[in-house]
Amino acid sequence: MSLQELDGKTFAAMVVQGSRYLSNNAQMIDALNVFPVPDGDTGTNMNLSMTSGQQEVKNVTTDHAGDVAKALAKGLLMGARGNSGVILSQLFRGFSKSLEHKTTITTVEYASAMKQGVETAYKAVMKPVEGTVLTVAREASEEAEKAAEEEKDFIPFLERVVKAAKKSLDHTPELLPVLKEVGVVDSGGQGFLTIYEGFLSNLKGEEVPEADSGVSMDDMVSAEHHKLNQDFMDTADIHYGYCTEFMVKFEEDKLQETPYDEEAFREHLSEFGDSLLVVSDDELIRVHVHVEEPGRALSLGQQYGRLTNIKIENMREQHTSLVGEASSPSKEKSEYGIVTVAMGDGVKKLFESLGASVVIEGGQTMNPSTQDLSKAIEQAHANRVIILPNNKNIIMSAEQAAEIAEDQVTVVPSKTIPQGMSAMLGYSPESTMEENKQAMTSMMSDVKTGQVTYAVRDTSFNGMTIEKDHFMGIFDGDITVSNPERLDVAKGLLSEMIDEDDEILTIIYGEEVTEEELAEMKDYAEAEFEEMELEIHEGGQPIYSYIFSIE
Amino acid sequence: MSVEMNTKNGQITISTEVISTVAGGAAVECYGIVGMASKNQLRDGLTEMLKKENFSRGVVVRQEDDHVHIDMYIIVSYGTKISEIAHNVQSQVKYTLSKTIGLNVDSVNIYVQGVRVTGDD
Repeated sequence: MSLQELDGKTFAAMVVQGSRYLSNNAQMIDALNVFPVPDGDTGTNMNLSMTSGQQEVKNVTTDHAGDVAKALAKGLLMGARGNSGVILSQLFRGFSKSLEHKTTITTVEYASAMKQGVETAYKAVMKPVEGTVLTVAREASEEAEKAAEEEKDFIPFLERVVKAAKKSLDHTPELLPVLKEVGVVDSGGQGFLTIYEGFLSNLKGEEVPEADSGVSMDDMVSAEHHKLNQDFMDTADIHYGYCTEFMVKFEEDKLQETPYDEEAFREHLSEFGDSLLVVSDDELIRVHVHVEEPGRALSLGQQYGRLTNIKIENMREQHTSLVGEASSPSKEKSEYGIVTVAMGDGVKKLFESLGASVVIEGGQTMNPSTQDLSKAIEQAHANRVIILPNNKNIIMSAEQAAEIAEDQVTVVPSKTIPQGMSAMLGYSPESTMEENKQAMTSMMSDVKTGQVTYAVRDTSFNGMTIEKDHFMGIFDGDITVSNPERLDVAKGLLSEMIDEDDEILTIIYGEEVTEEELAEMKDYAEAEFEEMELEIHEGGQPIYSYIFSIE
Repeated sequence: MSVEMNTKNGQITISTEVISTVAGGAAVECYGIVGMASKNQLRDGLTEMLKKENFSRGVVVRQEDDHVHIDMYIIVSYGTKISEIAHNVQSQVKYTLSKTIGLNVDSVNIYVQGVRVTGDD
């Protein structure tokens, strides 16, 4: 059937159908409402406005298209509710003005009426916000003008208009940041599109479908969560902790036992949950609900069929991490921060107890990158940061990290763990950066470092041959002792290192050292160096069985 | 003059200029508003539209004890449902202020100072 001219009756029928479409979808449109005020009433408001317009149209007795349009505009104006309702009334006010004296309407006339409607609507606002119903209406009318030149028949013409409106609607999140943030399209725009879909379906002679799936469930879920995030300031305020989404595929035998009634199902769910969304058709139900006991919601759905696509999320955890993220950067920067590199939990704790702000895992076999160090500098969150690399292979990357950092950063080039620890003792929060660097560096030179580790291959050093898997003792970087027995190496190294001026011996033992071995080590040290003060710490470091620090 | 809010961490002071600018900004984005009118010009019996950058002048912020009241002098477009627009402005201004400054106003009073008839009417 070709339809080249709209008469009053046809147009009136279109309006009625558009209104019915809108009213079926009002709830979904409500759910999309995040702008300008996320109060979830756009659909309701537009529906009330449109209903008022439609009633006015029903009172028209003539077959004059202009009269029908005028009645629609009048009804919309009187019944306008909310921002979207007011905008809708303006769109049709301009529209009807253009058609005032037309008994019937052609596509060209319709297009120019749409254009005038948009112009009128834009005039009534000082600062039009794009990405709203205004944009959708404008872009639809632009397409209408083009379409009218080619299409004399209303059905293909309106098809193009609806398509353009849909495209424009999908684009709204790009124009209005809040939409993108939440992940929805504009609610007013959706309402406009729904009305036009109603117009078109009437011309095509289609029935009004039950709640249309034009609005995606995902959009509605995002909007629900957005509203929720606005409401909850504190994690403790969340009563229903689990966001539960699932689908139910209907099964015949189950349905015979418990026939599905959407209203009842909804009510049942809302007894123990909120943010409820239920969409169903002949084959499946889609449910989104926030509950404290997700199992109950699932069992309820399972009465009607098979469960699929189940997704349950703990909102308290999500909220806590959200709140955490938001609050941590606001913490004030401390004056000084110390970043250091260490291996082993015990060593890490030792550094923390000495006052290090950030300890990066790393050492001989695992050198942290410049990037790791830069990140640690940021984490330290201080105006001035001192880095202790504790390894000569890390000094270089530490210096690079210091160079690119925005804060004031300096490197105290400690080559070993004991050097790093003594350097920490020279640090004073009251001193300037320069003073600290000097004090820490000089503390460092007072300490002697011994390390016991094993050889990974046969080698020779200073005339000493070392076999693979033998142990060796390193004294300030030089291998001085080598022996197949670990304990012998440790003892040998200590006697090499210690002279009569030394006062304190600190032993940090690694993860490989057993209790018996440690006890023997302790007895040896106490007997051999009875003048010295002995400190023993569990370092938990790999590779180095013992680290000795002698001052 | 400024509005003060006491929080557990200390005091927040927001100048009324800031409040009126935010409120004015929210209002002119509201559909149906074509302008703001200066309150001062009422004396002359003239309602003149303020220039865009000036719209905070059409907003008066009053503080009485702990309550904040806002008076807005607006000009609307002819042929719209004015009562609804006034209502929209109220809710939008209230929402924007609470969202952006954390200020809960007790009332937003709307004074419709003029109706502008646009070209084709």
